[in-house]
Amino acid sequence: MTQWNRPALGLAATLTASALALSACSADAGGGGSDDTITIGISLPLTGDFSEPGKGVQRGYEAWAEMVNADGGLLGRQVELTILDDQSSADRVVQDYEALIAQDQVDLVFGPFSTRLVVPSARVAEEYGMLFVEPAGAAAEVFDQGFENLFYAAPAIANDHYNHLAEQILALPEAERPQTVAVAAMDDPFAQGTAYGLRDKLADAGLDVLVDEVYPPNTTDFSSIAAKISDSGADVVIGGTQYQDAVNLIVALQQLDYQPRLAAFSTAPTNPEFSSAIGEQTEGILAPTGYTPEAPWPSNVEFVEHYTETHGNPPAEDEANAFTTGQVVAAAVEAVGCAEQGDCQQQLIDWLRENEVETVVGPLSWDDAGRPQSAHMIQQYVEGDIRIVLPADAAEADFLFPKPTW
Amino acid sequence: MSGSLLFQSLVLGVLLGGLYALLAAGLTLYFGVMRVVMIAHSAFLILAAYLAWWFNERTGLDPLLSLVVTVPLFFLVGVGMQRLLITRLRPATLTMMSVLLTFAIALFIEGMIGFVWSGTQRRVQLPYSGSNIEFFGANIAVVKLVAFVLAAASLGALYVLLKKSRFGQALRATIQHREAAQLVGIRTDRVAALGFGLGLATAAVGGTALALDATIYPSLHWHWVGPLMAIIVVGGLGSIPGTAIAAMVLGIGQSLLQVELGTTWAQTLFYVALFATLMLRPQGFFGGRLAQRF
Repeated sequence: MTQWNRPALGLAATLTASALALSACSADAGGGGSDDTITIGISLPLTGDFSEPGKGVQRGYEAWAEMVNADGGLLGRQVELTILDDQSSADRVVQDYEALIAQDQVDLVFGPFSTRLVVPSARVAEEYGMLFVEPAGAAAEVFDQGFENLFYAAPAIANDHYNHLAEQILALPEAERPQTVAVAAMDDPFAQGTAYGLRDKLADAGLDVLVDEVYPPNTTDFSSIAAKISDSGADVVIGGTQYQDAVNLIVALQQLDYQPRLAAFSTAPTNPEFSSAIGEQTEGILAPTGYTPEAPWPSNVEFVEHYTETHGNPPAEDEANAFTTGQVVAAAVEAVGCAEQGDCQQQLIDWLRENEVETVVGPLSWDDAGRPQSAHMIQQYVEGDIRIVLPADAAEADFLFPKPTW
Repeated sequence: MSGSLLFQSLVLGVLLGGLYALLAAGLTLYFGVMRVVMIAHSAFLILAAYLAWWFNERTGLDPLLSLVVTVPLFFLVGVGMQRLLITRLRPATLTMMSVLLTFAIALFIEGMIGFVWSGTQRRVQLPYSGSNIEFFGANIAVVKLVAFVLAAASLGALYVLLKKSRFGQALRATIQHREAAQLVGIRTDRVAALGFGLGLATAAVGGTALALDATIYPSLHWHWVGPLMAIIVVGGLGSIPGTAIAAMVLGIGQSLLQVELGTTWAQTLFYVALFATLMLRPQGFFGGRLAQRF
């Protein structure tokens, strides 16, 4: 397709789609179900840098479509996914969504993976007035672009990951409440986002921040940072970490015999390799998590069962966020009663602005920029296993405070 | 900065410096004997660390015992590498081409580690990894102390070997003046091969020491290439005592700077030291006359 005829084609497409939609609706009303399908356009990084998570998202979308179709489809119509490979390229992802919307005339679109691809593709979707629910892209910049059609299908953006923990700490009686905080965060927007979210909430409530260190992503020797934290004797240690940095920092802290009353590290503790690296000294370590297969939400139980049956292992966070995307769109479609290009998309967007959706990661609602309004669950190592401890209504074990010595 | 933190950082710096000295020793040896810039040294360090981890994972025995196998193995690999690959480079372009050759070897090792053990980050889990000894108010981690003792012992042994044995004399003669050494009847080719093997054997010890207290992954070796090169240049290329002193100074410097300036700026110490050395004293600060001819 050449560039110059795109707006005209888009307009024509919209008109045709509206016309088709009108006739489809009336057919539905009359006959109750038709052999017509709902097509959903998706572009994913199936090759290139993001191919691993990209494939995870694909598995999640496919699991969602299988379950919806087995259950009779959406609005009585079967769902069909059209998935293109964008090779992890931002140029390709733009082309893909234009082709899907304007040429293939898909009824709905789902988002791709990673902030870098979400932003350009959300712009295309907005141009065509399409609802854009996306499974990845937690960084703050996604929500600063002024998108009016975007919704992030996960519990929280990075800065809100620790909200439940902050509430829990501040709810402690004055005498037991920790007074001082030490923070070490990798120079990375996501890792810093998580740590600084908690740091700022505690600082606002009057706790003293004694150490606030930033280290480059390639740092491997953490003994000096550990010496500083240990010397400060802070009650709480917060790590804005990925993986090896958290492991090395924790071991370095143990070597200096530093015993905090509370220790929270992002990402690393949820990695299965973590406890084989740290050994038995993991007890009491906290981490936020967006998803766990054990979460008690009703739809999650079904999802995990179906997914484990087809794949032989429970779903991970990428699969879950993709599935959540499907659930969010499906909820809007069922409520509004339409799924096609044109005015319907705006109705779907308006509905999501006003309503809460039950998903595999819990109930979700959004602000005007599409930021989800929940927080991550907090997991803690209790008796050697990582368990959900907060919020109380999803807890599998009691919140352990103060942390046992490591 | 409080006194106790200063002392603690100093202790950590000494331990770190010892480890740096061990990791850099082989590197200065290769350059001294053969004018070879060995980019793959760090890759061999990581390979040895993986072997130590794998040995511990499989047998449950202390990773230090893997040295019984890895030290002779690495020595033989070193001799073989020198005989089969390095000697084929033309003497006129040896230094430059050795960078390319050993760069390729480093990539190969990294790829093989990833292929065999996957990219998952590993760590040797020891019953004493978090244990420490109190030392005048500072805490010394047992694993760091073991690594330091290992470094001191192997550097001491290397020093004695070079100073006292006939082979050591031949090696030092080769380092000082290759043609003259040949004139007095030293078979410099053989000495060079053994010297290369010796350098790689130190990588086996260094990698095992590293594995005691680090999380390892296949591409970790790139992290070490820069700092180790800086250490041997500051110490004077080809001088093992020089390397040990430079490693100690930079290790302590880094540890103390980290407290004052933070981790990001402390890392630049190595490069500042490298530039300063090249500008002010290109032959290195501690020993080594080699760089003048370089």
